[in-house]
Amino acid sequence: MKLEATSLVKTYGKTRALDGLSLVVRDSRVLVFIGPSGGGKSTLLRVLGGLETADQGNVVVNGETLTADPAGLQAYRRKNGFLFQQFNLFPHLTALRNIALPLEKVHGHSPADARGMAEQALDRFGLIDHGHKLPAQLSGGQQQRVGIARAVARKPEVLFLDEPTSALDPEMTAEVLELIQELAEDGQDIILSTHEMGFAKAVADQVAFVAAGRIEESAAPAGLFGDPQSPVCQRFLSKVMRY
Amino acid sequence: MKRHLLANTLVALALVALVGWLSTTVFAMLGTQTDWTKAWEYRETLWRGWLVTLGISIAAFCGSIVFGLLFMLGQRSPLVVVRWTCRAFLEFVRDTPLLVHLLFGYFVIFAPLISRPLGEQGWDDKLLIGILLLSVFEGAYLGEILRGGVDSIPRTQWESARAVGFSKLQIYRYVIFPQALRRVLPAMAGLFVSLIKDSSLLNVIGVAEYFYNTKNFISRSYAGLEGYVPLALGYLVLTLPVAWLSHWLEKRFRHET
Ligand SMILES: Nc1ncnc2c1ncn2[C@@H]1O[C@H](COP(=O)(O)OP(=O)(O)OP(=O)(O)O)[C@@H](O)[C@H]1O
Ligand SMILES: [Mg+2]
Repeated sequence: MKLEATSLVKTYGKTRALDGLSLVVRDSRVLVFIGPSGGGKSTLLRVLGGLETADQGNVVVNGETLTADPAGLQAYRRKNGFLFQQFNLFPHLTALRNIALPLEKVHGHSPADARGMAEQALDRFGLIDHGHKLPAQLSGGQQQRVGIARAVARKPEVLFLDEPTSALDPEMTAEVLELIQELAEDGQDIILSTHEMGFAKAVADQVAFVAAGRIEESAAPAGLFGDPQSPVCQRFLSKVMRY
Repeated sequence: MKRHLLANTLVALALVALVGWLSTTVFAMLGTQTDWTKAWEYRETLWRGWLVTLGISIAAFCGSIVFGLLFMLGQRSPLVVVRWTCRAFLEFVRDTPLLVHLLFGYFVIFAPLISRPLGEQGWDDKLLIGILLLSVFEGAYLGEILRGGVDSIPRTQWESARAVGFSKLQIYRYVIFPQALRRVLPAMAGLFVSLIKDSSLLNVIGVAEYFYNTKNFISRSYAGLEGYVPLALGYLVLTLPVAWLSHWLEKRFRHET
């Protein structure tokens, strides 16, 4: 994917969540955001994913400039996939229905087709036996995997994942990370934020360090983790890598 | 357990004794005058009144859903003016008695405005205006119930719904309402029970519903118990199933989530 963000500003009251953030990505499959809590990773993902509009600045993804117009943004969201930290699924629908409903109502597939596609997506991630269950009857890891299955069932151009594992215990984290890696290997374009440095190193083509609403540094994982340039990034990495 | 068993028995005996004493005294006083054949003679008027009450309840229930939705959406409107007007109107409706709405709404506002044309079309203007006013009144409460239900759905649900590409209407229809409805159904059924009871107030504008017809029967035939007992039973027959439905729904949805 290609991505160009220029001087993005997003404020919430007095907080400047994005403070003149710029980022250029020429050709990358998996782009990973790391950085301190409150640095602006989620906000950046939400702006890039078309869930929120920046107060200033502009974004071009794969040649398409994001507009502020709601209908345009909705069309943009429809061709991408998004997964949040937690509580993604609709609790009143079964896992299968969670995947099939958007396919039916948003993408215009017939109910039978939507169901077939949803079953396929569940099957792909080893979840077919859980299709009839409500989210509350699934483990946290299974819920996130169904969430990912829902996001990729309609073959998104870009898959946005915001800290997909931060609400999970280590075992479930591993099962979700494995799934994301598989998707990346199958050629899915992904932009994600994470606190799992080992995973970032393994899966990313490019890593961007986000702090105080700006990109402090952006490079291939080997460079950024091996030889960080900015002092903020050095301090952050030495702190999180200590344990 | 044993001690409770004893206490329960004693309380039950005391209650039975009290009710028994009360009814024997009352019946002893009325005994000679109570004549159930009177009620039988008037069965047709009573039956017609009961059907009208049933019809009013169903129509006003549908009407109150329409108004409730409008009031709920009005309060969530992006336009400040709409939100404030809505709030003020709801506050006014909920802080004044239904009796006042009916008298004021019928005699001051609607009767002079549309009674004549309605009558010329062959409609029963009192009935229609009564249903409308009742719908607005109950709709004001329902709007509040629905707003509470919609507000109780976490923000992440709106976000996820937007993220999968649903339009605003689809978000309400497929994600928010189904969840909100589960939470407010018991309260809605409770409101329906009030609505059925409140429909008796329509007698003040002369709608020939169950209470109105029974009242006429009582005053015309000097009936006592034989008028009031069917009156109470007639309303119970309508409200009890709804109350049961409410409890059943509550139980069912509790297991589901
Ligand atoms: N909806 C909001 N309302 C008010 N402030 C917000 C909102 N969303 C984010 N912020 C603020 O913007 C800043 C950036 O938040 P953001 O969630 O983007 O950080 P983050 O890097 O994702 O942090 P974390 O790693 O903890 O998820 C924070 O100071 C946060 O408090
Ligand atoms: Mg975040």
